[in-house]
Amino acid sequence: MVVAPGPSRTDDPAFAADASVVVNDVSVWFGQKVALSDLSCSFGAGVTGLLGPNGAGKTTLMRAMTGLIPVNQGAVQIEGRDPRRDRSVHRRMALVPEDEAVPSGLTARQFVRYIADLHGIAGREAPDGALHTVGMLDAADRRVDTFSKGMRQRTKVAAALVKNPYVLVLDEPLNGADPVQRVNLIALFKQLGAQGRTVIVSSHVLSEVERMAERLIVLMNGRLAAAGGHHAIRDAMDDRPRHVLVRSTDARRLASSLIELESVGGLTFDTVRAGIVIETLQARELATELPRRARDASVRLLEVRALDDSLESLFRELVR
Amino acid sequence: MTVATPVRAGRPGRRFFAILRYTLQSCFPPRRWVAVLMPCAGALLFGLLALTVDDTAQRAFANVAAEGIFGLVMPIAALIIGDSVLGAGGRAGRFHFTWLSPTPIWQIVVGRWLGGSLVALFTIVPACTAAAYIAGSPESAWPTLVAAAAGSVSYVAIFIAIGCLTRRAAVWSLAFVFFVERLLGAALTGVAQLSPTWESRAIFVAWIDDAPSRLVRDGIPQGGAAIFRLALVTIVALALAIWRMRHMRMVGASD
Repeated sequence: MVVAPGPSRTDDPAFAADASVVVNDVSVWFGQKVALSDLSCSFGAGVTGLLGPNGAGKTTLMRAMTGLIPVNQGAVQIEGRDPRRDRSVHRRMALVPEDEAVPSGLTARQFVRYIADLHGIAGREAPDGALHTVGMLDAADRRVDTFSKGMRQRTKVAAALVKNPYVLVLDEPLNGADPVQRVNLIALFKQLGAQGRTVIVSSHVLSEVERMAERLIVLMNGRLAAAGGHHAIRDAMDDRPRHVLVRSTDARRLASSLIELESVGGLTFDTVRAGIVIETLQARELATELPRRARDASVRLLEVRALDDSLESLFRELVR
Repeated sequence: MTVATPVRAGRPGRRFFAILRYTLQSCFPPRRWVAVLMPCAGALLFGLLALTVDDTAQRAFANVAAEGIFGLVMPIAALIIGDSVLGAGGRAGRFHFTWLSPTPIWQIVVGRWLGGSLVALFTIVPACTAAAYIAGSPESAWPTLVAAAAGSVSYVAIFIAIGCLTRRAAVWSLAFVFFVERLLGAALTGVAQLSPTWESRAIFVAWIDDAPSRLVRDGIPQGGAAIFRLALVTIVALALAIWRMRHMRMVGASD
């Protein structure tokens, strides 16, 4: 285990306590385009979600972490070793790339066996076990290049698992998987994280990241935008307005009674959801005042729901 | 769902043979095989073409082989093979699976080269040899076989090195064949000395009995010395590929 180098970062949510993957002031650029800029963070045991819009630098970061690309500045260390210089790192680390490309002409079993052979893993049990883990054993003798996108992803996950990695980097691993397989893969990733492995997952399906990752690293334009649990990130963003949907028996009367409140920053009628959306900087005060005002105005509250407490809205807010 | 705990075994050569097997199994999908077999068919056609030349069978075949076989179909076949074993996989994002392993880089490069060379030895080399029989010059078959084998094996190494040096391996490989070898090599002996086209021609010409004098090029190694030169070129190309692969920037199909 390696503790993040440099000054103490124990209180910084971008850094894990017992980090196995350390990204230290990393910059990567391709010609004029800066893909990562002075990025510092670390990853430890458990599942960490890597979030960001397209072009944020997620895939570049994953490639830099696994040594597929060199960094122009800074350093990446996997258990204290440079993945570009020390190829033994790859014994303990696996990447599931986002690309759909898979070896042509090989069956799923042959492909996973190939990866096992490259890692010096003997016997048929390990490849078959990995395929069984992702629910692909029944299709083990079918050619990988004839698979659907979801099946390819699961086969690549099996190829990653066959080496029993301590650090698992997954770039959009749920792409194309059907709902049942998504549930199974999420359970698998959580299980791997619970075993003390470092699991780093990027995804655009935010609700799924919310379900599997206890910690988030959010990237924007190649920089660190936020880090921590999604509730923690939300709390850290208290200076940003929140939105609350209120459905009631009389929206207009309720709106007129709320408009004068200090905790209400703005108010709009939402015809689609048949309610009013209140923008507030003081959510707690609003929560106290809202039932009182509704009662005084003889309006019955049907639903009060924070619109931006989900990861989706958090993400939207971060990338706005 | 559980994750199996694999048993690691250190049997020597396991990784190397895995790379070799993978190269033969996966780097040549059906379309690639068609592409490799087309220059082979071209070699046979050049054998037929030699029948139309008004000269002795051996001299006619020598003239056709020097330009058509060693100067065109052999490099093209080797280019397709060399690109198949590395460049195509790199562009498609399939090479990640091999690179992200503790396998030593030299084993990856040499394994791929050996796989590509085996394909060349069982496709274009027999086709070139068969062309000598088709041309009615069976005495030229043995020199053709040796020259084509040495040339194509060397070419595969060069094209693997180009695949490590540049993302557009096929384009640069074509540029190497037509601009560096054909144009510069024709004018500059120093370039021809390092060229599989010119050196394989020199092997062939040195070992046939009745070689046209215009095919004998002064200043470059001939016969066995040319084989040695091609071996050196192959080793240097593989060393360059190994060095370069350590520093490669691996990108995906979408980049």
